Amino acid sequence: MTVTTPRIRAAGWPAVRPWLGVAARLGLAAVWLLAGASKVDDLAASGRAVNAYQLLPYDVSTVVGAALPFVELALGVLLLLGLATRLSAGVSAALLVVFIAGIASAWARGLAIDCGCFGSGGQLAEGQAPSYLPEILRDLGFLVLAAFLLIWPRTPVSVDGWLTGEPVVEDEDE
Amino acid sequence: MSSRKGQKGAAQVVRQQLARERRRRRTIWVSAAAVVVLVIAGLIGWSVWSSQRSDDFTPPTGSAENGTGVVAGSGPVTVDIYEDFLCPVCKQFDQTSGATIDQLISEGKIRVVYHPVAYLNRFSSTEYSTRSSAASGCAAEGGKFREYAKALFEQQPPEGSAGLTDDQLIDIGAGVGLDRDGFGNCVREGTFKPWTEHVTEEASRNNITGTPTVIIDGEQVSNPSPEAIRAAVAAAGK
Repeated sequence: MTVTTPRIRAAGWPAVRPWLGVAARLGLAAVWLLAGASKVDDLAASGRAVNAYQLLPYDVSTVVGAALPFVELALGVLLLLGLATRLSAGVSAALLVVFIAGIASAWARGLAIDCGCFGSGGQLAEGQAPSYLPEILRDLGFLVLAAFLLIWPRTPVSVDGWLTGEPVVEDEDE
Repeated sequence: MSSRKGQKGAAQVVRQQLARERRRRRTIWVSAAAVVVLVIAGLIGWSVWSSQRSDDFTPPTGSAENGTGVVAGSGPVTVDIYEDFLCPVCKQFDQTSGATIDQLISEGKIRVVYHPVAYLNRFSSTEYSTRSSAASGCAAEGGKFREYAKALFEQQPPEGSAGLTDDQLIDIGAGVGLDRDGFGNCVREGTFKPWTEHVTEEASRNNITGTPTVIIDGEQVSNPSPEAIRAAVAAAGK
């Protein structure tokens, strides 16, 4: 009993894992592409959204706000292509941790702002309640995708796979 | 026999190791290239942003010394009002507390600096916040900022729409007695758009993150009702 169950799971997992990986990769790519595209046409507003966290000096906020949408778009493209997947997943995870920390700190300091995750950002209108918990939970969900790719970066239909020309399961037989 | 088999095995191990080494090197190169791509993307964002912002601006007549707003009145207590002509709460504020502020100005108690910021450009398809703010600069140039601002709030377009057209902005100006030709040119050419940008940027720098924001003698009034404004002005005047 105790032997058969893991064996069945072990038979299923290598078959399922690559496709879960593709789903995670494309899902995370979509997140970054949407997040970047929603901010890229108003870089000044993006800078204001960063400034609204009141964590960085204003001039630094504007630079971060201007650079971030483009970095997000680039990450999205890298993940979409499956190029340097582990690195992209690592950078994604790092960014998400920073975002979660920022939202949590805004929450802790009692600021009433929108996270500015997908476009809109900055101070909320009167009577509008911030939704910090859903924002953090959503980012944690994205973090799970990034963590999956960090652990298992090799996925089918990726430039990485094409470059190395190796099957997806390679380290298993060592 | 056994040693030959051993040699064969050893050669295979070496080949595998070489292949692994090649893969490892390729991964490093790909990762380095990806880092370069990400850094370049960030630099592109920065340079796009730097090229978008203009440093030169001409404030309209009647501006505060630093060019961040239009001054009305000359009382001892300074009131800073940050508003966006597309912001519904700003319209409400103007309708409930505008008269009180006008009265305090005419009583000689306050000096108001109106900062028409363009925070809500993404809520209209035509950058209405910037266009209306720049038009209010044209109105200030013609000495009718306040009248024009009131009229803009009265005819405020909804958030998410295209906003008013330049022609409509000009008609409103003519309606409050501005010279149609001069004002119209000013609006069409966007003469005060760089000023709007300056007003908006300085407001952000001062941590004004939303509109309307009312600051009386350096203190933000969180709920700027007529009573709260009078109380704050009285307290500051002591």
